[in-house]
Amino acid sequence: MTDATSITPSHRALNASDAACTPVNGDKDRYVGMLRTMLRSRFTDERLNRLYKQGHITGGVYSSIGQEAIGAATTAAGQPQDLYAPLIRNMAVHVGRGETVLDVFRQWLGRGGSPTRGRDGNIHYGTFSHGVYAMISHLGAMLPVVVGGVMARRRLGVDAVGFAYIGDGGSSTGDFHEAINFAAVFSVPVIFIIENNKYAYSTPIAGQFRCERLIDRAPGYGLEGFSADGNDALALYRLVHPLAADIRAKPRPIMIECDTMRMRGHGEHDDFTYVPPKLLERYRARDPIAVASNHLKAEGVLTAAEIESLTQACQAEVDLAYRTAMNEPPPNPDTLLDGVYANA
Amino acid sequence: MPEITYIEAIRQGLFEVMRAHPDVVLYGEDVGAFGGAFKATLGLQKEFGKERVFDTPICESAMLGVAIGMATQGLRPIVELQFADFITTALHQLLNNAGTLHYRTGVPVPMVIRAPCGGGFSGGPFHSEELEAIFCHMPGIKVVYPAFPCDARNLLHTAVMDNSPVVFLENKYLYRHIKEAIPAKHDPLPFGKARICRNGRDATVITYGAMVNETLHAARDLIDDTGYDITVVDLRSLKPYDKDTIMAAVASTNRVLIVHEAWHTCGFGAEIAAHIAENAFHLLDAPVRRLTAPDCPVPFAPVLEERYRPNSAKIVSALVDLIEY
Repeated sequence: MTDATSITPSHRALNASDAACTPVNGDKDRYVGMLRTMLRSRFTDERLNRLYKQGHITGGVYSSIGQEAIGAATTAAGQPQDLYAPLIRNMAVHVGRGETVLDVFRQWLGRGGSPTRGRDGNIHYGTFSHGVYAMISHLGAMLPVVVGGVMARRRLGVDAVGFAYIGDGGSSTGDFHEAINFAAVFSVPVIFIIENNKYAYSTPIAGQFRCERLIDRAPGYGLEGFSADGNDALALYRLVHPLAADIRAKPRPIMIECDTMRMRGHGEHDDFTYVPPKLLERYRARDPIAVASNHLKAEGVLTAAEIESLTQACQAEVDLAYRTAMNEPPPNPDTLLDGVYANA
Repeated sequence: MPEITYIEAIRQGLFEVMRAHPDVVLYGEDVGAFGGAFKATLGLQKEFGKERVFDTPICESAMLGVAIGMATQGLRPIVELQFADFITTALHQLLNNAGTLHYRTGVPVPMVIRAPCGGGFSGGPFHSEELEAIFCHMPGIKVVYPAFPCDARNLLHTAVMDNSPVVFLENKYLYRHIKEAIPAKHDPLPFGKARICRNGRDATVITYGAMVNETLHAARDLIDDTGYDITVVDLRSLKPYDKDTIMAAVASTNRVLIVHEAWHTCGFGAEIAAHIAENAFHLLDAPVRRLTAPDCPVPFAPVLEERYRPNSAKIVSALVDLIEY
């Protein structure tokens, strides 16, 4: 039986310390970009948390803190024509795909100029121009949508790859099975990324599944499966980037299970006292931003001063964005019924 | 003009829309070489290839989810459900995903779900259901339910070219029980337009699907036996539905019977009755009546289903009660 406190990555397909890590020139920008994505994601989440506790954000706040490396690495590994279906812990996918931090704040604050025009809140948004689907709350439901989107794009001559995200909890749903099996039968190039963050709300993985690793399911679908350290962006990028290129050329779905940890409650209303402190400490020591920063310094990509400068720039961007969004108006109530149907 | 059956009209409509629009794809369980459980798609894969017409695993939820993905990326998918009953394992994809997507994101979702429904052939509880009220309750979804071959073909064209998700209900009993002469080219038929099948002075029946033909049969019997003359309105389109035609029929007959094959409580007839009560109370000479299936699962044994399902004899009886109120 799997215990939340005893989970360890069973193997790492690639590790930054294993590979010949000197980045080629083209990769340097991507490495720096990944760190920038993680910083923007983190600072945005931190600000959202404050705005929620100050009463500016209604509903709730659900943060991606501690899981930024997965979105940063997988967006860096993709191409503009690819399709992404982020979920609740994927702020880094949104900003990594180029959606603006300003739009993120507009969305969470329910502004009229938000991507959903105030019709939906928090993480339920996505901009099609960035290849990002807007999630619904029903877990697993977005997985077949990505499969269909990639099938359509490829039928129309675009060599798209899909990136579909799901958690350890979402892996228990029927849609998880249906979508992966469907993609396997039709050889659709989608990377199913399972973020094993150990808890679905208050339920630990021991209450979610009985296989040793979720990736053990991959062969059952006829898929290759990969285990990865979800807190090490560079290592994850070095795994996913060549895999994405490979399935783009030789279409087929694959599955990657990322070992990571939800470092906050399900939402900011949740004090997550059910999570053993030792488990949090173990992952706090492997904070994805610190892990990436250390790699970039060790590999000579960035100096400490350059990282500090990047950090300040990201913080300033987030601060400007939230202040701007705070001053924007809510939607006009008279627009309530607009857009229920598309124009014929 | 050749006479063809309801299912042949649907099949012809599918050929026509797929020839006219290369962005249309069709998939479902056994729809390829086999031609579908009812043969509505026979020959389509041969003409359009496996890229555009293909069999899927048994996975109603993934089928609808995949359609949402395709529809938002430039295709116009048609999904054949083998039986309408099976959509209940995929309702979240319809209600929460397809139905909300344009409202939330502004991106159109042009997809059609073809759903064979209805009983009358001992299909039992899981192959006979009439679920239109569930679909009509969902924001963002359109629902049509043709009763005649020409309407089925015309509405299929409209459904495929609509930019919102459409549930296209097909009646299995009608598939091979009704024929109609069909012109060489389809006629444009917008959603929300009812058909007045016949005009009479004594009462109006508002109905759709298989019950249209039962009602027409009842109307013929009634005028022969009693002289009572009935107006019959076939709604054809349930969401949106044709309020103007309903109001005109109520105004000219002052008595209304609503007939459907689906369950009674919160059935689509309740919506029509409520609309008439709200807007035409002053025109009524008798209470609005409903003739529907009772609130029980669709039974298997023929004698039980005979008792369960409305038919022309029951319609005659309900109309006499209404007219002699």
